[in-house]
Amino acid sequence: MPKLTITANVNGRKISRETQPFSRLLDFLREDLNLTGAKEGCGAGECGTCSVFVDGTLVKSCLMPAAKAQGTRIETIEGLAKPGSLTVLQKAFHKTGASQCGYCIPGMVMAATSALRENPNADIEEIKERLGGNICRCTGYTKIFEAVEMTKAILAGDSPESVLEEDKVGDSYIGANVRRLDAPSKVSGRLKYAADIKMYDMLQMQVLRSPFAHATIRSIDTHEAEAMDGVACVITADDVPGNDGFGVFVHDQPIMARGKVRHVGEAVAAVAAEDVLTARRALSKIKVEYEALPGLYDPSEAMKPDAPIIHDYAPDNLIKHIPIRKGDIEKGFAEADIILEDDFSTQQVEHAYLEPEAGIAYVDPDDVVVVISPSQNITHHRHMLAEIIAKPINKVRFIMSPVGGGFGGKEDMIYQGMLALGAMKTHRPVQLNFTREESLIASAKRHPARIHYKMGLKLDGRLTAISFDMLSDGGAYGMSSEGVMRKAAILSCGPYKVDNVNIDTRAVYTNNTPSGAFRTFGGMQAQFATESMMDMAAETLGMDPFAIRRINMMTIGATTHTQQTLETASLDRVLAAAETASRWEKGAPTVRGSERRDLCGPDTRQSCTLGARIKTNHNNPRFCAQVA
Amino acid sequence: MSRIKRGRGMAASWYGIARTATIDRAGAWAELDDGGTGKVVTGVTEIGEGILTVLAQIAADEMGIKPEDVTIGDNDTARSPEAAHAGATRQTYMIGNSVALAAREALKVLHEELADHWDVATSDLRAFDGQVWAEGTNHRMSMDEAVATCKARGVVPVGSASFTAHGTGLDPVNGSGSPWQAYVFGTQVAEVEVDTWTGEVQVLGIWAAHDVGRAINPRGVEGQIEGGVVQGLGQALMEEYITDKGHAITHGFAKYILPTSLDIPQINSIIVEDPDPKSPLRAKGIGEPSLVPTAPAIMNAIYDAIGVRIKTLPATPERILKALRERNPKQTPVARDNRPQRTNTARHSAATI
Repeated sequence: MPKLTITANVNGRKISRETQPFSRLLDFLREDLNLTGAKEGCGAGECGTCSVFVDGTLVKSCLMPAAKAQGTRIETIEGLAKPGSLTVLQKAFHKTGASQCGYCIPGMVMAATSALRENPNADIEEIKERLGGNICRCTGYTKIFEAVEMTKAILAGDSPESVLEEDKVGDSYIGANVRRLDAPSKVSGRLKYAADIKMYDMLQMQVLRSPFAHATIRSIDTHEAEAMDGVACVITADDVPGNDGFGVFVHDQPIMARGKVRHVGEAVAAVAAEDVLTARRALSKIKVEYEALPGLYDPSEAMKPDAPIIHDYAPDNLIKHIPIRKGDIEKGFAEADIILEDDFSTQQVEHAYLEPEAGIAYVDPDDVVVVISPSQNITHHRHMLAEIIAKPINKVRFIMSPVGGGFGGKEDMIYQGMLALGAMKTHRPVQLNFTREESLIASAKRHPARIHYKMGLKLDGRLTAISFDMLSDGGAYGMSSEGVMRKAAILSCGPYKVDNVNIDTRAVYTNNTPSGAFRTFGGMQAQFATESMMDMAAETLGMDPFAIRRINMMTIGATTHTQQTLETASLDRVLAAAETASRWEKGAPTVRGSERRDLCGPDTRQSCTLGARIKTNHNNPRFCAQVA
Repeated sequence: MSRIKRGRGMAASWYGIARTATIDRAGAWAELDDGGTGKVVTGVTEIGEGILTVLAQIAADEMGIKPEDVTIGDNDTARSPEAAHAGATRQTYMIGNSVALAAREALKVLHEELADHWDVATSDLRAFDGQVWAEGTNHRMSMDEAVATCKARGVVPVGSASFTAHGTGLDPVNGSGSPWQAYVFGTQVAEVEVDTWTGEVQVLGIWAAHDVGRAINPRGVEGQIEGGVVQGLGQALMEEYITDKGHAITHGFAKYILPTSLDIPQINSIIVEDPDPKSPLRAKGIGEPSLVPTAPAIMNAIYDAIGVRIKTLPATPERILKALRERNPKQTPVARDNRPQRTNTARHSAATI
């Protein structure tokens, strides 16, 4: 294809550079100009990490063809301030702690810059609307709002620039609001994540993924792909020299599908080629013969005797069962004045870190296989990879690249093995950058849970017995299921003294996208049920929600559900702190929202009705106006 | 019945710190370096929570220098000592304590040389913010000079340490055991507004009180609470990864809905400090615990507002409307009635965008 020459003004300098005719503006900036501050978070205009200015207008550069940038004036995060300095807004992000993983931050800084350029007097509602196209998964946005408002005040002369400086330290750095040391690199877009790194002579990897949820692989023919110009290697499970298998607790997952596929999106083969396009074309030349097997999609079906078997080692499809027994459950329910019984369920949740999986592998001059990736657990990855590629452990080296969000989703070694095999086969650096769609279907999710709950209480609110039964869909591979079930079981019945408990948590294999580690590791699913039940009990007994929890709370010396004696316990303090801070009006939870007098305080936000930018007199009803 | 309803709910929670039902460990190396700077090497993984800044504060405090003068060599399996993974709310607790102990040892080496140099007792030596001095004397020098003095005596001030947390495994039959040596507790209150015509829930306020042991960087702790609350809100109201016979239906962010700036309640964080008696730093953690009580607090608040209990997450507008209809079929509002009349102007501006 003939190349396209783009002439534009980029960050104040005239440039003229060749690019591919199909390049998006984002590709042109990142690949041809090495301006990697704009990130690819979704490639579909949904997340905002690629935001830049074109002729002064904020655009998502993943949606704009590079050809359309011909003759325009482009401003990227790298051009906002002179090298080595920061704009007031960037300094405010630094001061308030508005950057965490930092991957969304260049885009967020661009959007916030746009907001204040468009309207230097924008109120908070308008600022929120103008940031609405940019997703942040770490910060909860709150410190970002604070940074924008701080900037607005400084630019308007309402606040001195000195507010941006580091707070004075007292007699210790413990407890001090030291500004994040890594923030300048993040707010300026200078920090290089794995997908931003280029190495000399580097190949690009692409992965062929299963279109079947459950199927036997009859054959894989890679000849045609391997023969293609620009293809350096094709790898399959046959290229694994050692004991193939990884996982956080049970090593049940091969680097690439071995003999059969167990979920849609599972890696089957991979190509390393001179560029991404060649690698993608080569994937289409790989011929895989599948024979579909009956699929298993519902965890409650998984343990039935005639259910399809997902892994031979687990004929009952059980990944892990954690039982906890304490006291005498029958006696506990017999002692109860009231018994509540109900069912709860929670959904599969995606981590949605803004940085899709990415990594580079190479073999160094001393024959050490090196993998650079944003993994949350390279210590364990090194152990597993050494076994898989049959190398001594000191001949395998993992280097952590900056992690653009993890939340548990980057604990599993789902692609580092393929990169290592590619590097070993070619002795060239190999890079693999997932697309968002690939990340969504190939990475683990939060375990969905179905919980059957039975709770016995005395009329004074004391718990006498809890029976807790949770079934979780572990999906196609074990990943962190065992640990998630354990933590869910231990925490299940909440921070309450209960003499008689009967707890079971189970995770089973299915052909769904695997479930794995996700912030709280089973704790939130279990306690969602418990805390709902506590309120239902409080309503039944006519008690205040805080009061029923205080009657039952674990205190120092309490015995936990696993019969551990607590040496410290602070539930009394956090209950009091939340109750006081929220100005909680005491009373039983009997649907008393319409009578409450503690609503609409200055520590709540306005309800959002949209349109802050255009300031129309929308007539959406506002609750606080009604009660005022 | 008025269309807009508000209500409040609360939920409590608990969580364990560091790896579960097993022994946990982390290692670190520290050096007081030329110019009075500090060097710390440990297999830490900054996943965005601010652990590098926390470790710099800890090392600075222990070595008597400034956080910005600390250089951290982070995770590389061929270059740094093992500190294990980024998860289980363990990095401040495990790695923080190992860095504190390693840095303390490096300063002890320097203090021993200085005590000899000044002929004072090591117990009289102090160091803070780049200065070293002997209590009750006129002896004082910058850390820059102190390191040079130490090295001129032939000694490089280095330290290393490993920190252990003693969890025990669970009995396979009755689950008994001591999974963690440190526990944290939290409580959140949620205030919500429910539109009974559309089923939309807005969370307007969250009050989040969390015990973190000891806040090394309070602003960083707030950041973790705010991020956790918003992930909890996402799971409570909108996020759901859906598959159909194993095929993802929600295969992009247009289908998989995430909280944006317009969904964010005012988050009021209350940091409670109940120090951990089993570790030198006395800090615990906050990464995961902040998310736990958010969804149940929101569901309890929805119940308070409209009298329907959502037991299946997420509480989408469709689910809220269905629950309202099932509770009171006669009063079913028709959402269509609420659609604003589109004017030509509105349509035009939408097209321009």
